[in-house]
Amino acid sequence: MEEVRAHMTKRFTGFVALGAAGLLAVAGAAPVGAQTTSIEMIAAQYTNQMQPYFDDLAARFMEENPDIEVTVQVVDWNNIDQVVTTRIATGEPPDIANLNYFAAFAADDLLYTADQIVDEATLADLIQGFRDNSKYDGVEYAVPDLASDRLFFYNKAILDAAGVEPPTTWSEVKAVCQAILDTQPGIVPLALPMGPEEAQAEFLIWAGGNGGQYFDGENWVVNSAENLEALEFLQELVDMGCTQPNPGSFDRTSGAFALFAQGVVGMLNGAIFLPGELENTYQSDVDWGVTPFPAADGKESITLGVQDYFFGFKNEDGSNQEAIQKFLSFLFIPENYAAFLEAAGGFLPATVSAGETMSDDPFLAPFIEVLPSAIFYPSDQAAWGSVQGAIQDNIGAAFVPGADKQAVLDGINAVGEGS
Amino acid sequence: MTEATRTPTDTSAPRPKATPPRRRLPDLGPLPWIGPALLLIIGVVLWPAFEMLRTSVMEISVSGLARGFTGLSNFERLFGDPDLPGIMTRTLVWVLVVVSVTIFISLGLASLLNAAFPGRRLVRWALIIPWAASVVMTATVWRWMLDGFYGIINRILFDLGLIDSFVNDWLGDPGVAFYWLMFVAIFVSLPFTTYVLLAGLQSIPQDIYEAARVDGATGRHSYRYITLPLLRPALLVASIINMINVFNSFPIIWAMTKGGPGSLTDTTTTHMYKLAFQLLDVGQSAAMAVVNFSVILVFVLLYLRVVDWRRA
Repeated sequence: MEEVRAHMTKRFTGFVALGAAGLLAVAGAAPVGAQTTSIEMIAAQYTNQMQPYFDDLAARFMEENPDIEVTVQVVDWNNIDQVVTTRIATGEPPDIANLNYFAAFAADDLLYTADQIVDEATLADLIQGFRDNSKYDGVEYAVPDLASDRLFFYNKAILDAAGVEPPTTWSEVKAVCQAILDTQPGIVPLALPMGPEEAQAEFLIWAGGNGGQYFDGENWVVNSAENLEALEFLQELVDMGCTQPNPGSFDRTSGAFALFAQGVVGMLNGAIFLPGELENTYQSDVDWGVTPFPAADGKESITLGVQDYFFGFKNEDGSNQEAIQKFLSFLFIPENYAAFLEAAGGFLPATVSAGETMSDDPFLAPFIEVLPSAIFYPSDQAAWGSVQGAIQDNIGAAFVPGADKQAVLDGINAVGEGS
Repeated sequence: MTEATRTPTDTSAPRPKATPPRRRLPDLGPLPWIGPALLLIIGVVLWPAFEMLRTSVMEISVSGLARGFTGLSNFERLFGDPDLPGIMTRTLVWVLVVVSVTIFISLGLASLLNAAFPGRRLVRWALIIPWAASVVMTATVWRWMLDGFYGIINRILFDLGLIDSFVNDWLGDPGVAFYWLMFVAIFVSLPFTTYVLLAGLQSIPQDIYEAARVDGATGRHSYRYITLPLLRPALLVASIINMINVFNSFPIIWAMTKGGPGSLTDTTTTHMYKLAFQLLDVGQSAAMAVVNFSVILVFVLLYLRVVDWRRA
């Protein structure tokens, strides 16, 4: 009888399941006074599959751990920062969060350390490079949940029609642009999305190809000579008609991806999830290829690695720590973690074990191959969240005719130094 | 009065009198009647305003944690921002141009709708539509109509031979984009303004016009010396309410350009939002809010004076 009822609760989700489980615990053999710990997680909406994934995961977890109640709220990327910071500001942080930065929270001494939020076996299984990026002030406060890196995408038909090979250096980019402009009017040779959506990535890819960075380990260097040169090079591309007009108001998804999917863009900086978008969102039949990012002449090609994080918020008496640790470790059990990656869609795994099983995937192989040359955002800096916002908001102004590019970069750098 | 205040102590008397005194609360004057409204005002106006002021002098960390009193440093950072003068100037232009052009066009529209012509009811209804539609929706529709690659406006202009390149990114170029933003702001402000002015026109008694005609006034004369002076209260109310609305307007700019590129199409209202939610600087954003709030306060005081003047 109990089993039948327990089975039935599986059909319900969310709060209904919680309520039913609570009733069961009372009606069943649960000893009076058994402590129930409730924890809440705010997770990022990589795809629409995330909420169903977490509902199922939480239900299975609670079946194994009747003394822990887990609620997972999946929030889309446009609102998740606000949701988390509002919760903190009102004194009600979630127990677990899943975001693309963590250092600001560590700086405010709000977080458990990594070894407190996952068990030893899980921690040991995480890829070392990602763990190194999860430290603030030398202490590991977060665990990587997944990662992505990026490659240069090109439309094979357009490059073939221009009779050129994919470029590997900046001067070849110009040559390829010119060849496309000469042969195929109406085609945008290179999409350059410097609009607010993802400008911090687009700019770092080009700056990195010239040896530039945002943070050199000690100081903010958004306004470095390398970065300025990169901006000036991009301006030359804009001026020669290689890109769409007004890069500063051109966004990645609504602009670059959409046009590439329509087959009117020759090349763009794409991410590991672009092929999935092309297939599912745009139902595009563009024949694309990938190659490492072109670098400035004489410089090394880089890729941009991006990793996101899980981290746990301390409560007053530390009573949520054990539940957080159990739940996150449960998530990292290989079969659960594989389902997580599948729900998130087309990302690189953060664990060694999952990486081994996925390295045979022919689609992922080129992305895994360039990973050693990855540069990352300075997400271990508390000011990174603000600097990222400043880049997204302001870098586009550098492409307005007559703009003082150095002043734009100085203004962004000041945001980092000021915090 | 004094008896009434004494009655509560008398209720201990076990026996009711022949005419039982009505048990009365202490005299609170009008408080019980205006109390709920007062509570509402304190809860949704005064308290948030106080919180805003308090936040503007606090240091708030990126993660949203209050780190204590910081004096005027949020204001110093706000006014030290090299982008701010441009944003302020743009806000001024935005309010002045949108409100004055709106009033000018609305005057014409109101006169038209006040005149008798076949189909007037239909035109009056049609004018409500931009008002009834959500501003975000209207702005989004314009954003896509003006899109550089897919926009219908490019298509039309191109087919008419007015532009030579099919790709013409109206909203990407900050100079051009700002004019389009003002155009849409005027478009959505017209219905309300026209209706206020139409109501004003209809309140002018017809016999004044008849008397003027008897005295030999031309149409232009009666408009200049009768209509405009008698329309003054409606004009003032329409301008001030529009100023407040346009100054606070967020959705048009946000849906069409997000204030970009950079901050080149920002007003102080969108700038305030960006400070809080993109630069994650809640303190500085609160300082901007205090400045905005002061401006609005001036408008509201002006409005109250105008309304009083109307009653007198």
